[in-house]
Amino acid sequence: MDRKVGIVGVGMSKFGRRNDVTVRELSWEAVKEAFEDSGLTQKDIQLTVIGSTAYRGTEIYPAPPVSEYCGLVGKSPLRVEAACATGSSAVFTAVNAIASGMVDIALVIGVDKMTEVDTATSLAIGGRGGNYYWEFHMYGTTFPTYYALYATRHMSLFGTTEEDMALAAVKAHKYASYNEKAHFRNKVTVEDVLKSRVISWPIKLLDSSPISDGAAAAILASEEKIRELKIDTPVWVRAMGYGSDTSYIAARGEWTGLNAAREAAYMAYKVSGYTPHDIEYATVHDCFTIAEIMAYEDLGFVEKGKGTALLREGQTEKDGKVAVNLFGGLKAKGHPLGATGVAMVYEITKQLREEAGPVQHSFKKYVALSHNVGGTGHYAFVGVYSR
Amino acid sequence: MVMDGIPLVMKYTFPAEDLYRPFWEGLKRGEVLGTRCKRCNTLYFPPQRDCPKCMGSDMEWVGVGKSGELMTYSIVEQKPQGFENYDKYTIGIVRTEKGVNLMCWVVGTPKVGAKVSLSSDGHRVLCEVKA
Repeated sequence: MDRKVGIVGVGMSKFGRRNDVTVRELSWEAVKEAFEDSGLTQKDIQLTVIGSTAYRGTEIYPAPPVSEYCGLVGKSPLRVEAACATGSSAVFTAVNAIASGMVDIALVIGVDKMTEVDTATSLAIGGRGGNYYWEFHMYGTTFPTYYALYATRHMSLFGTTEEDMALAAVKAHKYASYNEKAHFRNKVTVEDVLKSRVISWPIKLLDSSPISDGAAAAILASEEKIRELKIDTPVWVRAMGYGSDTSYIAARGEWTGLNAAREAAYMAYKVSGYTPHDIEYATVHDCFTIAEIMAYEDLGFVEKGKGTALLREGQTEKDGKVAVNLFGGLKAKGHPLGATGVAMVYEITKQLREEAGPVQHSFKKYVALSHNVGGTGHYAFVGVYSR
Repeated sequence: MVMDGIPLVMKYTFPAEDLYRPFWEGLKRGEVLGTRCKRCNTLYFPPQRDCPKCMGSDMEWVGVGKSGELMTYSIVEQKPQGFENYDKYTIGIVRTEKGVNLMCWVVGTPKVGAKVSLSSDGHRVLCEVKA
């Protein structure tokens, strides 16, 4: 990156079924907090990037109404989309706009209001998350089905069990119970997960992240501008790696990990100069429990097939070797697609600034990583950050 | 609380029938067809009319195999719109004896690594688990 980029303010709305707001008020909850956090205002912003998939809401072109509501008219609402990695694609766009020298300060808003359609419609939209004709149209895939195909093969090759996967849900719900902004704050047991309704075997209801409404915001700036504004608590973006894979899931030829995530991680480690062993905190894309296990392996925290061991040994708990998703993860914090990647930046910023309260991880080197997957591994973004 | 928004009914038409007619005719004969670029020999499944590898568009329809191995599967119980009237169904990925990986519905008791033969119900590819 030509110019160093730092995060100077973050905000996040309450996630959940937000029948009390439209996408505009929801966005403002996050944007207002990010402005207050940074001490900046709308006049400081040169570029607004809005990440939203929007297909499940009434506002299917949300960028103009959201930017107007937030007092950002004239600040170029640029909307980007990369399915479930939409939030990270928005962060990526803003980071590059600053790194290139095009702008000095950019605002990223990630938002989706997913509960405005019924669950059947939502499943039918998600089932189109791969290749419409050759998957959904002929076979009736749902979004959980795609991850279930990975889970079945992971179980067969590495002996991963439904109980192992349930541990990821138990961990997510435990930490979400501390997070006032989480969609779910109830704890669950392995038995609860195993007894929950089958959605697309082996994935059950409690293996799955919920359909959520939510927004997150982040303000990013160049190093020069950060010095000029005398902001003394920036979190530096050390790298943003990206990767991609085929739309047609069968064509990938390996269904135990995500090639896109491995590519993104390789790039992020290479550019940042850090290795998997340096990462002390990570937000991983646990849209389903199997996804968290695969993420440990794809990110190089453990070798292939050993993801379950890391979870069982408690090494991804608070103060473990690499703490993962202490705000509750997509699984329990919630997964409003456009917001998720930006909410990862929110979480990492809070953790690296040591403002995470009861779930504050203890750092030595202050290095963290975000892992955000789009579609069923169609896109992946891996960010590396330090204080 | 909440109010009803104006429904957005999306009815689609798309040109798959003409583009993929040989695929459907093949399925009627019990054959699964993909396309192969006559110039650079690249085999495509799903079939493509164009070859981005060599920039050619001179393709031929070829069989991708009649049997194979079940690589993975999932049993769909929560069905999406359009599939409400089916019983729960099993989606699988098969690697054919020609090395092509494709999606299908599984007939019989699924198991990773099981030998399967490909067939069709006229709407999709099926794989039957061999006893």
